Amino acid sequence: MNRRSFLTAAGATATLALNPDSLFAAAAHGDWTLGFADVEADVAPRDLTLIQGRPPGGLSGSLFRNGPARFRRPGGSATHWFDGDGLVRRFRIRDGRASLAARFVDTPRRRTDTAANAVVTGGFGTPHAPGVAIASADDVNCANISVQFAGDELWALWESGSPFAIDPETLETRGLKTLRPDLAGMPYLAHPRYEPDGTVWNLGLAGSRAIVWRLSSSGALEAAEVVDLPLASYVHDFTATERHLVIVLQPWVQVRQSAPLNSGFAWKPELGTRILVLDKADLSRRRVFEADPFFVFHMGDAWEEPDGTVRFDLCALPDAGFAVQGGADLLAGRRPSEALRPELRRVSLAPDGVCRVERTGLVAEFPRTDPRFAGRPRTRTLFAGMGRGDNPLFQSLGIHDGKRDRTDSFDFGARHLVEEAIFTPRPDGDAEMDGWVLGVSVNLDARASELHVFDARRISDGPVCTWRADLALPISLHGQFRPG
Amino acid sequence: MSESKQRPLVLLLSALTLPAVLLSSGPANAAPAPETARLTISFTGVSKPGGAIMAGVFDSREAFDGDRPVQGVRIPVNGPMATETITGLKPGRYAIKAYHDVNGDGRMNTNPFGIPIEPYAASNNAPSRMAPPAWADAAIDLVAGDNAHTIRID
Repeated sequence: MNRRSFLTAAGATATLALNPDSLFAAAAHGDWTLGFADVEADVAPRDLTLIQGRPPGGLSGSLFRNGPARFRRPGGSATHWFDGDGLVRRFRIRDGRASLAARFVDTPRRRTDTAANAVVTGGFGTPHAPGVAIASADDVNCANISVQFAGDELWALWESGSPFAIDPETLETRGLKTLRPDLAGMPYLAHPRYEPDGTVWNLGLAGSRAIVWRLSSSGALEAAEVVDLPLASYVHDFTATERHLVIVLQPWVQVRQSAPLNSGFAWKPELGTRILVLDKADLSRRRVFEADPFFVFHMGDAWEEPDGTVRFDLCALPDAGFAVQGGADLLAGRRPSEALRPELRRVSLAPDGVCRVERTGLVAEFPRTDPRFAGRPRTRTLFAGMGRGDNPLFQSLGIHDGKRDRTDSFDFGARHLVEEAIFTPRPDGDAEMDGWVLGVSVNLDARASELHVFDARRISDGPVCTWRADLALPISLHGQFRPG
Repeated sequence: MSESKQRPLVLLLSALTLPAVLLSSGPANAAPAPETARLTISFTGVSKPGGAIMAGVFDSREAFDGDRPVQGVRIPVNGPMATETITGLKPGRYAIKAYHDVNGDGRMNTNPFGIPIEPYAASNNAPSRMAPPAWADAAIDLVAGDNAHTIRID
């Protein structure tokens, strides 16, 4: 896929006017729209209130999360959830207390839109306003998907442009990150894969080509190489074993250059899904597997069996509906289609070239795993479980044990909008998923964001403690925890 | 399969790398004939030191899109502004494309996906949406005698 495509002129049909029908729909529906509301300004550091339980001894550090948080401006608004300005939030836990601070990433895009008093810069699902000048993808970059630690910096990640360096203490934006002068502006996905020693692998996509990035744990570039892909698929995430990169190429493929990005892609299930396996030591050594068509945003870490079989899990959707309509519905106050329920599936790629995809029946998104086991055999996957009733996204958290086919989960109820949760190990433990799960939700009754800590071995017991903020931030997408 | 879909900006100014074009700007020693136009181009906002601004003057949409300038100039960069005067143009409609050859290698450098990594601009500060600026946005009219045009390039 050519990520540049969405930067091209949107054509005469581009409009940013709010649709009156959407406004009516928002008013007519439930108050879950709080999870997609606008944040007007940076959030100064503030203490959170412990509302239940006891903070576990030994849990200390900062949970950094990123997600879109400014969608609407007087002169025009974003029309897709993925096109809001990135707000980096830091939940800090120390000495049994918790605090919250949040700051928008200071992107050229945010400056342009602020000056125009309108969202004139389009992106993933929002068209550009007519006449907006865009010299590079980083003029569109909303730095709103995830974060990465790199030495003493925190990077705010988008997927079609460069990372932005952030001061992890003040959350101030230091600027665009160029990993090597000749690679300025190359795309960098928001889902890098981390080896247990901190080595970072990542991709950047352009049509049927990808740049493969390899960085040290400090964020220094070690290698960058462009590879060809068998399909011009939309790629949001990939996975890796100790020795291989695994790139799932779904049949949502770029068919034309157009803006916004998602308008240039077509769902072509007849192409099936291809899974490209690259040797980390020699990217020219590749295998391609074939599977039935499915759509995927997110994957769990992969590993290899002694016989060479590659295994991983992923959260599959029936088609690209969420990337097109679902994300637009959320901003318009409409509940996305019930059909868009992601299912955890287990994939195996056998040495004989056969790909098997096993359905678990578990409705799950945002798979996260124990970072100490990245690339090595593992059994457990942390996930967010689907909302019910009026809840448009997620309302539960769980850990699925793929080996025993057991799930340990906790349901917050439909009045919580539950975000992706993150696992962090207990300092004195070394067993898989022995540690804590940190999760944020928007409590619709309290109209406040809450930070929950679970014992990862007993999710169904509920949070061991919960802190509440004095405000609600819109739900975020992804994050990382740094102990300390 | 993506190759054909991409319309790299690399093409933008490739013709300007031809030395013959660069040298075609006549010396400004002779007074221009009354019927010719003289164009002073000023580039402002130059943010990176060194190198040179490579600018091409085009006399038609076809020439503009096909990178066939009627004249080209190389303007050494010594500060935030760079100026050059081009003479001997017939009065009429023109457009200018330029890039800042920061490292002095004589070409507009791009990243591996074809995105320019050196500053570029066009007359009228014509906008670019990851494709070369359009003639219609960049076209300017030159009259007989003196003309001046300022372009921001950063």
